[in-house]
Amino acid sequence: MARSHKAPFWFLFAAGGTVVAFVLPVMVLVTGIAPTLGLFEGAMSFDAMSAFVGNWLVKIVLFGIITLALWHAAHRLRVVAHDFGIRADAPVAGTVYGLAALGTLLTAIALLGV
Amino acid sequence: MSERTIELEVLRYRPEQDSEPWFQTYKVSCPEEWVVLDALNYVKDELDRTLSYRWSCHMFVCGSCGMVIDGEPKLACKAFLRDYGNRIRIEPLANFPIERDLVIVMDDFMEKLESVKPYLIPKEEKSIDQGEYLQTPAQLKAYKQYSMCINCMLCYSACPQYGLAPEFIGPAALALAHRYNMDSRDVGRKAREDTVASHEGIWECSFVGACSEVCPKSVDPAGAIQQVKLTSAIDYFTSWLPGGGSR
Amino acid sequence: MSRKPYQRELPKTTWFLRHARYKKYMLHEISAFAVAVYLLILIIGLFRLGQGEEAWAGWLSFVTSPFGLILHLIIFGLSLVHTTAWFKAVPQAMRVQRGEQFVPGPTIVGAHYVVWAAVSVFVLILAGVA
Repeated sequence: MARSHKAPFWFLFAAGGTVVAFVLPVMVLVTGIAPTLGLFEGAMSFDAMSAFVGNWLVKIVLFGIITLALWHAAHRLRVVAHDFGIRADAPVAGTVYGLAALGTLLTAIALLGV
Repeated sequence: MSERTIELEVLRYRPEQDSEPWFQTYKVSCPEEWVVLDALNYVKDELDRTLSYRWSCHMFVCGSCGMVIDGEPKLACKAFLRDYGNRIRIEPLANFPIERDLVIVMDDFMEKLESVKPYLIPKEEKSIDQGEYLQTPAQLKAYKQYSMCINCMLCYSACPQYGLAPEFIGPAALALAHRYNMDSRDVGRKAREDTVASHEGIWECSFVGACSEVCPKSVDPAGAIQQVKLTSAIDYFTSWLPGGGSR
Repeated sequence: MSRKPYQRELPKTTWFLRHARYKKYMLHEISAFAVAVYLLILIIGLFRLGQGEEAWAGWLSFVTSPFGLILHLIIFGLSLVHTTAWFKAVPQAMRVQRGEQFVPGPTIVGAHYVVWAAVSVFVLILAGVA
């Protein structure tokens, strides 16, 4: 039987899953829910956010978090497709990993633009 | 000794007469300390000798009496009636073809078990005169949990990935491969890896975890498979390095 | 004697409705959609941030809209599903052996919750101070 090439994608999935587990809830809280509640208004202001994301260390950390989370979600969506009875694994894998690669590129461009 | 009348709804399939399975209900007056297997034995002895099912030891050792009881894969000898209501639905293990009544065809499982080389592959064969392959208690502990499997196939019945993709090697066989990989006396990991790390092997598992939840021996096949994934993924990367494992 | 084994098929798209543990598993799997949507919103936000104050204000007004809030609340809920399920599985996937004993699962899980709390507090302080 041929060895599978899922290994590297699973590795990204596992690493990303760990990152997501630790940081995503608080990130969603800060960037998604707090603004409506009026919390951390200073932090989410344009000037503060530009300065924050402008820091190169923050850029690197954000890039790491976002891309690992992207590849985590991509791999899991491949499994979800399988679980919902979609048996065309090759096109599904190509689509989700392609989107993750595109997302990785766009994240880099966006971060460099701040 | 309290007794209560329990209706057993048993899935019947008699290949000579039936085109598909159907439920037959048996009313049995059961002492409260019985297990489901006792009730089935009563049916077989007193009510309907045509009912077929497998059993042997009656003490969760042989792994023969696996069946789906009220939707949950169980050993019938370990399913105490006091934990159930007055109607109990009994079906053969899911994901396997039904041979007759509660008896399933296990050929596929046997083939898969064999495919992972579930035996010790020592670095060098020793004759009996040369003595034992020695091992410390800590080395034993490393794999002991995964050696407790009794091949009852409850995990295959619980595993949706095996149900959806029957080529999947499945929980028990992969856990057993891990059991030998983790054994300090064994050097067979590479020999097993072609099967274990194939598409049909560990990578078909999505860690539903149902196998570990239903395992009557707490083997935790799901955990074993995730550990194998990690070592196989590391193999995958190191195999590209100079001096890395052959692929 | 001729054999005629009967194969019962697992329904390919609705199998997970059969048992509570499969539904729980699917809920965890579905969290990937939440992660993907959140990342999309976040990446757009970073682009908007680079495009200037007005663009950023537009992005913020989406986040604070009723739709944006509901979306983020759903994402938040599913992210908690992922975190708790992920931590629960760690002792199975990574066993730590010390001599003849394994570090107990609850200790490993507990350590993860402690780190999670520390990371979360750190991010909140960053947000509060920055």
